[in-house]
Amino acid sequence: MPTKSEPQEQIQNLRHNLEDIKTREGVLGYILRASTSAAVDIKDPSKIIDYATLSATVLESGEKISNIFNLGEIKTILLEGADAKILSVIIGDRRLSIFMEKNVDHNTIYEDLNLT
Amino acid sequence: MSRDAFTAALRNTLKEIGNICPDVKCSFLFTTDGILVAGDAQADDTVMEKAVRLFQNVAENAAIIGGLNTFSIVGDNGRVYVSCANDMYLAMVTSKDADMPYLRSVTRVIIPTILKLLESIVPTPLKFVPSSQLVADNLSGFRSKITGDTVEIDHETLNQWSKLLNGRGVGEVEIEAFSGKQARCRVRAIEDSALEGKGLIRIPEKAFQALEVKKGELVRVKPIAH
Repeated sequence: MPTKSEPQEQIQNLRHNLEDIKTREGVLGYILRASTSAAVDIKDPSKIIDYATLSATVLESGEKISNIFNLGEIKTILLEGADAKILSVIIGDRRLSIFMEKNVDHNTIYEDLNLT
Repeated sequence: MSRDAFTAALRNTLKEIGNICPDVKCSFLFTTDGILVAGDAQADDTVMEKAVRLFQNVAENAAIIGGLNTFSIVGDNGRVYVSCANDMYLAMVTSKDADMPYLRSVTRVIIPTILKLLESIVPTPLKFVPSSQLVADNLSGFRSKITGDTVEIDHETLNQWSKLLNGRGVGEVEIEAFSGKQARCRVRAIEDSALEGKGLIRIPEKAFQALEVKKGELVRVKPIAH
């Protein structure tokens, strides 16, 4: 039987993992949004607004596209540009976007989030 | 080479990709301006246009990371993969177990090669004009009889289309109702100035019935140059 502390524990683990991930070379920061709060940690503060807009657009469009093509529950959304990339995941009611340079292995980042 | 032949060549290319990679459920190409160019037989026009608008929305906000090179969504039941090829985007909907590295290597070779080949055949780049949604109005009575199969559209809309078609006049339009019924009609500007600027397409009775539309309903209208 699931205990009440499980989701809280999962969030604590996620935050702990994010703290570790953000210190890695090439990781530009992350945005973790919940329904009423958000944690933003972006290395270049001048890019926060643009990153937040992009993160919201990617997640919102990703969910709509997933519905259109019946992709089921979203595991990951990855957007790659010429300079950087963004990995987004949906964890319950939380939406996470991690920004990184092009050469960073996003698969390793995803695995290290340890979401399962 | 006409736009139709260009589109047909790309549609056949997508079909062949589907034959090589059966995991591709549907695929389509759209321009970086968000205009749908071609889709394979599995792709539904309305669904593709909806998706293109969403991809375009992502692309417009992606300047901060250097634009949209690739965009992928992995779900429990399948994947969507969008990649940039020349001035176009290729979108593919695949099964969840699709061999993505293989698919990427196939499309990375085929699509740019075909686009390059088509560009070498077409002397000037083809401009894809987006279809517009207009409000259907019934052109009935005596006026309907004298206009034959000619529909009437705003001056402004016709001018905009003409600009996008490098100054070529718009002689005909393809009309598609949301039921999927289609008709191709000649076109001219609305003469009644009171009806200008209302986003109307005035359709003669015969075509109106063939399209099975009602007055006030939206129809999709695509211009065809002279």
